[in-house]
Amino acid sequence: MNLICKQALILLALASGIPPSAVAAPGDSPVRRYVAEAVATEGGGSDNACLAMAVSLAFDADRIYVADAQDCAVKIFTKTGRFQAAIGRKGGGPGEFSFPSGVALLGGRIFVADKFNHRVQVLEASGRCLRSFGMPFAPDKVFVLSADRILVTSNGTGRSATEKLLHLFNGKGDLLREEMPALFSGDPVLDAFRNMFLVSPGPAGDFFVVFKSRERFVLHYGRDAALLGRIPVDGRYAAKSLPLPVRGGRKEVEAFCWDSAYDRGRFYLLAPAFTGEGDLGPGDQVFVFDAAGRLEARIDLPVRVTRLAVDGERIYAVDRTSDLRIFRIVP
Amino acid sequence: MKKILLLALAGLVLLSSVFFFPVAVSAHDVSECYRDHQVCRERAFNLDAPWTKVALVLTVCDIALGKCILAVKV
Repeated sequence: MNLICKQALILLALASGIPPSAVAAPGDSPVRRYVAEAVATEGGGSDNACLAMAVSLAFDADRIYVADAQDCAVKIFTKTGRFQAAIGRKGGGPGEFSFPSGVALLGGRIFVADKFNHRVQVLEASGRCLRSFGMPFAPDKVFVLSADRILVTSNGTGRSATEKLLHLFNGKGDLLREEMPALFSGDPVLDAFRNMFLVSPGPAGDFFVVFKSRERFVLHYGRDAALLGRIPVDGRYAAKSLPLPVRGGRKEVEAFCWDSAYDRGRFYLLAPAFTGEGDLGPGDQVFVFDAAGRLEARIDLPVRVTRLAVDGERIYAVDRTSDLRIFRIVP
Repeated sequence: MKKILLLALAGLVLLSSVFFFPVAVSAHDVSECYRDHQVCRERAFNLDAPWTKVALVLTVCDIALGKCILAVKV
């Protein structure tokens, strides 16, 4: 009966021009709607409080840490948006950065992906460098899965068919394992988009990977970076198609997700949105999925954001002008 | 007409990037070209710009790489 109902709905949708993937199957729970109201934006009256190029967010019980790639610093804010401190400066020495592109936290220590110095630095909250470990690639993001498991991602160079994008290190900085081969077709622009992905740490040293355009799955990896499973994402969440100028003309790319987060058993996917010029940029809608990939809710943000982190009913985000925004989710 | 104008403009932008995009002054060998190419790409990835713009920037990075390698080898 359910099957017949679903087929009828799909036929109805086709007749009315709605994509079948957007049809809720009988038994699908309705999608709840929430709005996110602005609670605070960054502040503190100091020039250091300004974010020039915020590219990564992390938070602990009290503070939000933002990697500012252009200012070569990690900027620390309270959870009400008040600026507290900036650590790091441009350079190649201890406690100095060259394009810090990722930040993660564990036990009061700050881990920074120091991209063009090809290393991850471990810092005290004061900014003093405790140690660092190097790597033969430019790290993009860093995630501390546990005291002895540090996950580092890379974007790939687009020049090799053998590159991997996930790199797992132990606490001493020894490389344990590399996973997720980059797609390589010989077109570095198209490959760049197909290889863009996002990582969200899970609750038990595991982590989740979402590709920005390649597929409609959330990949679940264990603490040793072994693939545990692929979670299909609810068909009601529609990807957006964009013809990209690549080698040999334009090619349609399915834009699936702009940023992602995981919090308390739920996935949060920031949907891309069309700009006024017909291009595809960051959006202002966050879709919430349960652990099985079923769509539960949609959160409407008051502004378009490029990065987000979710902390219960709070969303910490970076908007298109690189300002830190703090939202509260309300029904 | 509008399409032709757009195409001409796009061609002009690409040509100007070929002729005027700076070759790294410090590039003495090909590995430095590749290093600059990586810096160019990584900056593009972190722009958070709309995708067509990112695709164009990545294309310019590739053109600059080709130009740099030619300059080193010739």
